[in-house]
Amino acid sequence: MTIFIFALKRILRDKTNVLFLTLFPIAAIFLPLAQEGWPLLPLGYQYFGVLLLFVSIRLTGIMIEDRQKGVVKRLAAAPISHFNYLWQNLLAFSVIMVIQTVIVIIGGHVYGHELYGPWNLAILYIVFTFTSISISLAWNSLYRSKESSFLIFMAVIVLMALLGGILFPMEMMPEAFQRIAVIFPTYWLSEGIEWIVLGEDRGDFLFINGVLLLYALFFLIIGSIRRIS
Amino acid sequence: MVNVWRFMNIVFLIALWMYQDPPLVSFLFVISLAIIVCLRWRFRLPSWMIIIDLLLCFLFIPFWSSSAYGLALPVYEMMSRQKYRFLIIVILLLTLFELYSIVLLWLLFQAGVFGVWDASSSKQRERYITEADRERHARHALENVKEELLQSSRKAAQLAEVSERNRIARDLHDHVGHDLTGANLALEAYEQLEGKEAEVMLNEVKLRVARSTAMLRDTVHDMTPVARIGVDVLEHIAKEFIHTPVSFQCSGDMQLVPAHYWGLLEPCLKEALTNVARHSDATEVNVNLDVTMYLVRLSIQDNGTGSKHLGEGSGIRNLKVRARANGGSVTVNAVNGYQVVCVLPLEEDGR
Repeated sequence: MTIFIFALKRILRDKTNVLFLTLFPIAAIFLPLAQEGWPLLPLGYQYFGVLLLFVSIRLTGIMIEDRQKGVVKRLAAAPISHFNYLWQNLLAFSVIMVIQTVIVIIGGHVYGHELYGPWNLAILYIVFTFTSISISLAWNSLYRSKESSFLIFMAVIVLMALLGGILFPMEMMPEAFQRIAVIFPTYWLSEGIEWIVLGEDRGDFLFINGVLLLYALFFLIIGSIRRIS
Repeated sequence: MVNVWRFMNIVFLIALWMYQDPPLVSFLFVISLAIIVCLRWRFRLPSWMIIIDLLLCFLFIPFWSSSAYGLALPVYEMMSRQKYRFLIIVILLLTLFELYSIVLLWLLFQAGVFGVWDASSSKQRERYITEADRERHARHALENVKEELLQSSRKAAQLAEVSERNRIARDLHDHVGHDLTGANLALEAYEQLEGKEAEVMLNEVKLRVARSTAMLRDTVHDMTPVARIGVDVLEHIAKEFIHTPVSFQCSGDMQLVPAHYWGLLEPCLKEALTNVARHSDATEVNVNLDVTMYLVRLSIQDNGTGSKHLGEGSGIRNLKVRARANGGSVTVNAVNGYQVVCVLPLEEDGR
């Protein structure tokens, strides 16, 4: 578990990470409910998915850093498998982000927001945490430098949020875009949020989480490829 | 290449899904297939995993009939791995759901053909690779053998030198040394003696010196090689030639001439002298061997008059080819008598 503990230490040592992990989620708790009737949840909870994506690309950035500094090369020669390195790092990211999610949900509940089903919301966001970590892992495996990966992924996040129906309702978009939106994980997140507020059939919720988990698996397989340089 | 094809199939399924707008559940099918494709890209999955593809198709065809296009992936897989029995399941699925679309069948056929082609080409590639490996291995072994041979020949030369030196030292010590010491002692004794005893002693000294001289000569004779080498060979040939008197002159440092040049110079001289004996009316032959820093020049000149025509026999032609192979030349000239000149270059380092 050395790598796991070291990954936690590295993440918490970085000031910007700490800012992302504390200030923004706390700010999200205190954002008010929108007046127009959409989004259905308080703004902070509607946009929390976007924040999760940002946080996950920041956290997984340390794996690109490892590649840049040649740590991965040295690990290849060390008596530790790539698989070990991968899962301990991913576990560290997941633990941090799950704790963050739980704090936000509990915070919102205590603050007095109408969250409909806090348990369901927690489950949905925890599942989406895994999806976003594996998406950023796969994304990072395409790049050699942390900065370019991060900057381009910011644009991708905005695009996914726009098309996925997080920033504004799906119904406002043209028909064709609504169909394309389905391939984005963010679409399933917004579907999930909608289910929590309005949905009834338990199966739909399971289906949505299932799709998100499958996405997580898909990107994990792509992202777990071992790149030395 | 195969993976590109697989991912293109997934892209096609996604596009089809968007276009046809089937129930949302069938999106699970697309993602699951994509995951399996990813797994196949990353790892070599066992053949029974084809069942999972087929099962997915079986489960989702009732929801979305175009799921049948996903069959292209397992069909490719089973053909490339030569698991033809899975084809029965595909045919069963097609008949069960009454999917007789000609486009679908054609697509599946293409996938199968692609699978067969891929299997055969990868088999061929593997064969080439093993063959190349074997050749590389053989070449490596050959180089090792060559290196060993060179080393052992060097070692043998060294060993021969050492054993020869030992022999000389032993001979000098055992025979010559003992006799000379004895003679020395006898001489010292002779100075002290007079009369008949002195004469006996002197005789003994004479005997010992004579014996050691003979021993020394024998030892030296053992050392000198019996076979002639280098310039001696040429000189010997010239001396042995009885048809016409031959004068042999050489100049320069004979040590500069590499050993294999003698093998060319010798037949050259022989050929020229044979020609003199066979065709010429010459009464005198001059042989000159000059060695300079950069070249070796052997010239055989006679004073014959008859051979104005420069007909070249196969002997001279052969020598020309061999001289050219060493970077030199053999020329024939009949202006003033008959002259054969052989010129060979010397390496800078005097090898």
